[in-house]
Amino acid sequence: MKRLFDILFGRAARPVPPRVEGLIAISTAAITMEAQLGFVPRPIAGLVFKPMESVYFERAQEELDGVLQIAVKETNSTYRIWTDSYRYRWVILEDPDFEDLVTTIQGASQILTEHGFGEQLLAAVFRFDDREGRPFYWIYQFKLGKFTPFAPREGRRRDETQELRLVALLERELPVERRPELWYALWDIPV
Amino acid sequence: MVYSMRRVERWARDPELTIRMVLVLFGLGLLYILFLTALIASGIDTVAVLVFAAVFAFLQVVLSEPLALASVGARILKPGEQPRLQEMVERVAALAGIPRIRVGIIETPMPNAFAIGKGLRSSTVVVTRGLLDLLDDEELEAVIAHEIAHVRNRDVLVMTIAGFFVVVAQLVFRILFWSGGGSSDRNRRGSGLAIAFMVSLLVWILGQLLLLALSRYREFVADRMAGILTGRPLTLASALLKISGQISRIPSRDLREVQEMAAFFIIPPLRGESLLALFSTHPPVSERVRRLEQLQRQLEGLA
Repeated sequence: MKRLFDILFGRAARPVPPRVEGLIAISTAAITMEAQLGFVPRPIAGLVFKPMESVYFERAQEELDGVLQIAVKETNSTYRIWTDSYRYRWVILEDPDFEDLVTTIQGASQILTEHGFGEQLLAAVFRFDDREGRPFYWIYQFKLGKFTPFAPREGRRRDETQELRLVALLERELPVERRPELWYALWDIPV
Repeated sequence: MVYSMRRVERWARDPELTIRMVLVLFGLGLLYILFLTALIASGIDTVAVLVFAAVFAFLQVVLSEPLALASVGARILKPGEQPRLQEMVERVAALAGIPRIRVGIIETPMPNAFAIGKGLRSSTVVVTRGLLDLLDDEELEAVIAHEIAHVRNRDVLVMTIAGFFVVVAQLVFRILFWSGGGSSDRNRRGSGLAIAFMVSLLVWILGQLLLLALSRYREFVADRMAGILTGRPLTLASALLKISGQISRIPSRDLREVQEMAAFFIIPPLRGESLLALFSTHPPVSERVRRLEQLQRQLEGLA
């Protein structure tokens, strides 16, 4: 009923709040990926969001910077911030410990959420390399609260077979999105 | 903390527009009750009329997408074609939380864009070649975000359903008009038919005005959402100004012929100088820009 009213009164297009909870599952899934499937987790991950032109957003970004600097000191990691050609901002983290990587990414997304900008979160990406060294990404979609597969290949093509296969194999351990129409591409990932 | 946690959500609200939409829909509801009462009282076979109109409306909803796309000569992009545009649309869709949608293109110098489709799962965003040439990437993204907001609000569906009885009223009026419901026959045919004739005319006109108001409010809503999604309301404002400036300069026939689709474009292609604001599907660009500026002030904590 509420949905019906939202649609009638033009409120259905309101920004979607993020779901951060599902993100953490990638830590254990990474072990399966490596031990059983031969996909090596790379010590790098990215958080991507759409910045807003607002003083409040700048403040959130400053706090995010501060927290990342502390996290970097505590763990053996580095980070950088990068804006891509579609004006999305990336936090790119490098850390040899995959679990730390996941925790820091989750912490960063929580800071944006606490400042009221969770709606601007697009995705978190984790990279794996298959036996031939080709990249495979698990993309955490904050709006869905689920992971989607992305296997980019030369010439902006996707390896759909590999994507379908990994979704089927990791379904039990990872909150994966089953509907392929939600498997958004994210080309030129900087990780 | 709770206050700041809902920041974007609060910016997305526009209580004034919600109240206006409630009033318009309430008005339409009253009008429709009046219409149905008059129709039943007149002795016309109301059920038959409604069934006929329902089939018509259903077909319109189902067929509107392919028909509209074909009528404006839109071509759906293949994967890998216009990769930047497609990825831009895909990212905004992901940010807005809707499935990947199709992207169409019309080869015309007239800059414009529209979204069409039944719902979230089956929709198409169409842009013209002129739009791609005119706007820079960020402005293009803002226009796409506006169209995606329409998709999320299911504006095509809502407008079709809200307008259902207006279509019925139009139908009844035409039937009565052509079957001699005019002044001379009224006494013979009974006063019921005369009332139905008058009421359906009234419902047609008033209903149409209310629908146009609803359409304009939904434009404001889509603008606001686009401003928030892209994080830069004024980029959309500059896109709107560029498009409207260009549209009034380029004389073009092709897009003007699709008058009935005017409501779905970002800026209606039909821009008669004498069109009153009351009869327009879209609010004036100056008013839309003013509201986007207001949103920007809100984002900066100045309003």
